[in-house]
Amino acid sequence: MSDASDKPILEARDLVKDFGGVRAVAGLDISIYPGELHCIIGPNGAGKSTFFKLLMGIQRPSAGEVFYQGRNVTRLKPFERARLGMAIKFQAMEVYQELTVFQNLFIPLRRHHRPKQIPEQAAKLLAQLHLAGTEEGLVSNLSHGQQQWLAIGMSMAVRPEVLLLDEPTAGMSPDETSETAKIVKGLNASGMTIVVIEHDMAFIRNLDSRTSVLHYGKLFAQGSFDEIEQNEDVHRIYLGTV
Amino acid sequence: MNNKGSILDKYLGLLNGPQTIGRGVPFWLGFLAIVATLAFGPEFLSRFQIINFSNFLISGFMALSLCLIWGYCGVLSLGQAAFFGVGGYAYGVVAINLLNAHGNTDIALIAGIFIPVVFAAIVGGVMFYARLRGVYVAILMLVISLVIGTFMRQTADPDYTIGAAYLGGMNGLRPASPDDPLLPSLILGLGQTIQEFDGRSVSFYYLTLGLLVAVYLGLRCLVNSSFGFFLVGCREDPDRTETFGYDVRLIQLSVFCISAAIAGLAGTLYTAWGTFIHPDGFGVAQNILVVIWVAVGGRKDLSAALIGALVLEWISLKLASEGEFALLFMGAILVTVMLLAPTGVVTTISDLIGRLRTKRSTLAASEMKNGEPDV
Repeated sequence: MSDASDKPILEARDLVKDFGGVRAVAGLDISIYPGELHCIIGPNGAGKSTFFKLLMGIQRPSAGEVFYQGRNVTRLKPFERARLGMAIKFQAMEVYQELTVFQNLFIPLRRHHRPKQIPEQAAKLLAQLHLAGTEEGLVSNLSHGQQQWLAIGMSMAVRPEVLLLDEPTAGMSPDETSETAKIVKGLNASGMTIVVIEHDMAFIRNLDSRTSVLHYGKLFAQGSFDEIEQNEDVHRIYLGTV
Repeated sequence: MNNKGSILDKYLGLLNGPQTIGRGVPFWLGFLAIVATLAFGPEFLSRFQIINFSNFLISGFMALSLCLIWGYCGVLSLGQAAFFGVGGYAYGVVAINLLNAHGNTDIALIAGIFIPVVFAAIVGGVMFYARLRGVYVAILMLVISLVIGTFMRQTADPDYTIGAAYLGGMNGLRPASPDDPLLPSLILGLGQTIQEFDGRSVSFYYLTLGLLVAVYLGLRCLVNSSFGFFLVGCREDPDRTETFGYDVRLIQLSVFCISAAIAGLAGTLYTAWGTFIHPDGFGVAQNILVVIWVAVGGRKDLSAALIGALVLEWISLKLASEGEFALLFMGAILVTVMLLAPTGVVTTISDLIGRLRTKRSTLAASEMKNGEPDV
């Protein structure tokens, strides 16, 4: 947290989300600081993905507020939040399956670039994502891991200030996972604030960032990864007793 | 891509983009050949056939309008005929009212296109801003079309007049009094020049053909532009597209209005063609027929949808003498196509040709490699 300033760039205040009788998010307060890399972990059903959807505006909270750069964005639509500088990669595969790799990138890149600049920008992004030369192929021909990278690349293409990544390494091989960690750390080093939901402990250890643990929709613990790893209560609910 | 192709791409730009089937010299030569054949049609077709062909071409506009909103933007509207009918009635009402004063139907033509757009903006605004999707939009549009049709059917009371136009219930639009003009064909006036396009004449056929080619080429440019990419993004995954900062509702609404304008133009031309418009145009059959044309041809491509409409209309004319059998046959065609080529006949054939070409060029490339050393 050395490079983080005191004012949060993204802040959830007492966020609540009910689905019928189930309280998925139960009064969550989390602050994300500019330039931070922040991991969110928690057992299945802890409310992590719902929390992301509330942050991005895909779902409306039952109570509580979301602040972005000090502005209350609780009632803003997802596209309005995106225009303010937020981007998300959902948990599910988030690429346009029927389009080519280039066309997948064209849509987000077009937000900030003229059509003529897009081939060059797309090539740059693909090189960064180890996907160089795949432009003309259909997305469905890519491996699962490559599709995940492309999905991350599509979110990067809109040049967000805050990037929310929901399980970026799901279904990846160990090699792909460690490459993904490099990509995420590289983006963060370039100044992008990144929040990551993950289950892969090796990946989170590799990122070595401030980590929040969610449990039953609440903030259960927060601290550096080492602190979290040594927290016995976290072991009990999540990592299993070792 | 070979040299010829890239030069053509450079000059044809958006016409040759990735969202439409067909690029390169062979496709455009074929396109010119078809247009030329249609243009020379009057040389070898009877007058009766030309009248029918004019009507086929009008169906083409409907197919393009549904293809745009359904195939490219992913919004199935089962009520395209509503815009067709509203356009037709708007043209007729304005034409009857202004013909004597203006001597032409220019404003009626504009009304036939513009009033469906206003209608689409209201209906679409409510639907898309309420985030209605999928089957709800499809059914709501069908219901709207049927409700308008039901309303128009009960306008036989002589009170249902708009100026000189009497809505006429089941009998269709007609003049309110014997002094008012009959529903006219298109009469376009520019300055002193006045040209009448009688629905039964060759000039009307040429006008319709010209407009259809223009709309087709215009739409090719539209779907291959950045806006076309956004449309496809909305079709493939609207939620994802919104997270990139695009207002999906606005994109859907805009394309819905464009599609209504084209359907309105079709309704206008149809009304001018037969100098006749009646409430049956709003019915279930009219709405579903458009879906069949587009689905059978291939909903994700303009050319495929257009060919689907023209060919099926021609087949149904051939079968018309068989009565009810014609509709049954259309249904059978739809079911067969959905089972054998779910993306549409034309699209499937074009995919096959594309695959064969790639195979041939890879074969040729590997032969070249084997034959002579790489330099």
